[in-house]
Amino acid sequence: MSIKKISKEELSQLVSTLIASGDRVEGVQAKDDKFAFGPLTSADDLRLDYDVTLLSPRKYVLPPVESLMTFEVGGRYQSEYDTEKLTLIGVHPYDMIALNQIDQVFSQDEVDNHYTTRRKNMTLIACDVVTPSENVFASSMGTATVSEGYDILLTDIGDAYVADAPTEKGQALLCNAADATAEDLAKRQAVQERNQSDLNRHPLNCKIEDLPQLLEKAYDHPVWEEKAASCFSCGSCNQVCPTCYCFNVQDDVSWDLKSGTRSRAWDGCLLENFANVAGDHNFRKKRNDRFRHRLYRKGKYVPEKLGIGTACVGCGRCITACVPGIANPVDIYNTLLNDIKL
Amino acid sequence: MSKPRVAIFDFACCEGCQLQIVNLEEEILDLLGVVDVVEWREAMSEQSEAYDIAIIEGSITRPEDEERIKDIRSKASILIALGACASIGGVNKLKNNFDLNDVKKCVYGDAADMPHLETAMTKAVDEVVKVDFKIQGCPVEHDELTYVLRSLLIGKTPEIPDYPVCVECKAKGNICRWEYSEQCLGPITRAGCGARCPSANNRCFGCRGYVDNPNVDAAKDVFEKYGLTVEDLKSRMVLFGSKQGPTL
Repeated sequence: MSIKKISKEELSQLVSTLIASGDRVEGVQAKDDKFAFGPLTSADDLRLDYDVTLLSPRKYVLPPVESLMTFEVGGRYQSEYDTEKLTLIGVHPYDMIALNQIDQVFSQDEVDNHYTTRRKNMTLIACDVVTPSENVFASSMGTATVSEGYDILLTDIGDAYVADAPTEKGQALLCNAADATAEDLAKRQAVQERNQSDLNRHPLNCKIEDLPQLLEKAYDHPVWEEKAASCFSCGSCNQVCPTCYCFNVQDDVSWDLKSGTRSRAWDGCLLENFANVAGDHNFRKKRNDRFRHRLYRKGKYVPEKLGIGTACVGCGRCITACVPGIANPVDIYNTLLNDIKL
Repeated sequence: MSKPRVAIFDFACCEGCQLQIVNLEEEILDLLGVVDVVEWREAMSEQSEAYDIAIIEGSITRPEDEERIKDIRSKASILIALGACASIGGVNKLKNNFDLNDVKKCVYGDAADMPHLETAMTKAVDEVVKVDFKIQGCPVEHDELTYVLRSLLIGKTPEIPDYPVCVECKAKGNICRWEYSEQCLGPITRAGCGARCPSANNRCFGCRGYVDNPNVDAAKDVFEKYGLTVEDLKSRMVLFGSKQGPTL
């Protein structure tokens, strides 16, 4: 299908129709002086001009807490799956790329059916960034624009949106829209080219392909100890990260003491007991070990495992969330670049 | 199998944590289905000397309290500290910052020297006897309280969070109180409350005590970054953190 164009009024009508259908529709809205994804009850609440959301859309595919199964103690169990249909509106390119990454994680090796079931029932409407956030550095990470994963990608060209729908789900929503003209497509290209350079409050002084090699030589660099001295191990950087996907599993029994529920909740590698294993052995007991681990996950381990450029998508949320102000990945990578020859 | 016998005792406290048990409402029937409550002054008249699990509310603030808690400990297989006063000393530890004679005069005026008003430095329960499990908070959380009890009843060690309130606060999508220059104690305070105060647009007061290994040096750095002093930090921590050792 060719690329479409819809007016802002038409988009508003489309969102209203989706809401009226009774299916779950969530999108970006104002939350005090910030923005957040939440349930949409009116198309007027949708804010596609937002800078960044407090939490990433990860919360829709991997909720902060979810029930995995119910069981009888010593007996049978029944897996639980969330099969509710969801349309999510307003995913920025860096968050879309993050979702594509964790899609890959949960679909490989032991496929996680809880995740994939939820993901299959989602319709994703992404949008190019209109307002850069105070800490975004997506341009440095190659994530300022996105080319796959969404059902529709909207680009604000002033009076209207250019709408690209590569999937059947997306095309069905745009069946009445007119084709975009060459002029519209040129405007879209201008927006995307601008974002590829301008979403860059913290420029990285190397190519992302160089990060694994840089980190290969940086394991004993003093920066880890220096930064970690101010680290609360509060895991805020993990919690707000769109590509962090670690979880902890816990059982609880009902009052009959015979049946129970197994659930999982977000975990984070900065937390003190994250690496605590049987026998009470903690293989990342020191703050600097944990602090370093996150930066290695984003710059080396996950990229090498998945065969992708970087597992940090440059949303800048960790920078905003870190109270002591030590979480900025670019700051650390650039410090290493000053001292280490690639 | 007979049901475990549970006794609930109070020391220096507001009895609000026991009230949280009463406030379980219909769930209290579930609880009574699996345990025999043999003593609980706030809710029943009976008393007992024979119990398996002792639940202690309140902190130890008088010499005779120490003897009483030691006696309870000697009779109970499992002893649970319920709430901030029992677990960390709570607001009762504020008095440890002052001369005890001044404290008595301030509270009791002319009657301060009456023998039954004798007082001592406040202690958390584990400063006097061994505590098996702590249920933190001022007051305790229903969900955590019932989870701990159910875990013990099936012979499982309950998992009490040893990570800061920030974990639950961020998962709720809250805006950090520090962004509004509020001196929130979330980064050093034990989670488990679901970030109740920050979710209601208040800073964390630290009622659940510190995590096992709080980075107080980082807290000092942060206060410097925000133009605050160590005295400011102390003034924020004093309410629940007075003379508080690491908590378990």
